[in-house]
Amino acid sequence: MGNNNASDIKSYIKYAIIFLVILLLVLCFFLVRDYVTLRHAQIISARELQLSALFKAHGPLTASDVAVMRPWMTFDYINKLFNIPPDYLKNTLSIRDPSYPQLSLYGYANHQHLNITMVMSEVESSTRSYLTATSTN
Amino acid sequence: MDSLLTPILSYVLLYKYVAIFFVVYTGAVIIPWPANAMLLAVGAFASQGFIGFWTSLAVAVAANCLGDLTDYGIARKFGERFIHRFKIDRVRFFISLKEELITDAGVTVFITRFAGSLSSIANFLAGFVEVPFMTFLWFDLLGNVIEPFGALTLGYAVGNYWSDFSNLLSLIAGIFAAAILLFVLARIYRRITRKYSE
Repeated sequence: MGNNNASDIKSYIKYAIIFLVILLLVLCFFLVRDYVTLRHAQIISARELQLSALFKAHGPLTASDVAVMRPWMTFDYINKLFNIPPDYLKNTLSIRDPSYPQLSLYGYANHQHLNITMVMSEVESSTRSYLTATSTN
Repeated sequence: MDSLLTPILSYVLLYKYVAIFFVVYTGAVIIPWPANAMLLAVGAFASQGFIGFWTSLAVAVAANCLGDLTDYGIARKFGERFIHRFKIDRVRFFISLKEELITDAGVTVFITRFAGSLSSIANFLAGFVEVPFMTFLWFDLLGNVIEPFGALTLGYAVGNYWSDFSNLLSLIAGIFAAAILLFVLARIYRRITRKYSE
């Protein structure tokens, strides 16, 4: 009786192991595919592995990087990320929400019943204008 | 990007350490949030000077340990009644798993810290089989320091490119979880084979 139970459990475990091995192989395949994609996009490269090159990714972003903006980002974060004065976007976009700058772009669009795509494009163009103006000065 | 991750990131930017604590704690207890992807982003925010790296690490470790201890405590307090009520103690797989956990409690607790959402199940099991509290605490703490440190450091290193690595990190976490489960099952299989061949 005990031996029968044990052999049943053994066969269940064997199936689970086979399933997990297949799952592991599939996950490894996707890992390699993602890695190759990142290499092709030149996000991972021998140069990027050098510490000095990596720290280039930590400085304030420039006008060409405004596309990294996402609806979940707060105005406070965007100000810091692009090194723009705290009240610049508030004045330029005439934001009257008292929560500014502790307010996400999505939250702002939602409170004001605005289209998020429109808000994003306004914030992007204002940021781009500021960064272009300051870089030429 | 993960649809669960984007609202979490807004809250992290708004409430910083409180949000990190909440997400990591509830994630450790049971809710399958993308906590590692969030920590990757937090590492990137730290590299941009928006949040403190070491404070985030301390908050994540504390929240993870408290979450794990909550699971362990609940299972330890109510586990016996639950096991008897549903006759789980008659299931041979549970008995084998219990033997496995008791024999190598430290190693099992430690390696399951890297198994993502499976670690919550391991916490409950550790409470059910009454793994000694101090053994659970030390190995849990050790694993919980290494795991968020890895995610935060990777996020810090890749900085503004962090979102490109989010998928890669999820895949690595998935591979770890599957490999750990495989390891535990293989040991149970070997144990049963050895026991019935004697």
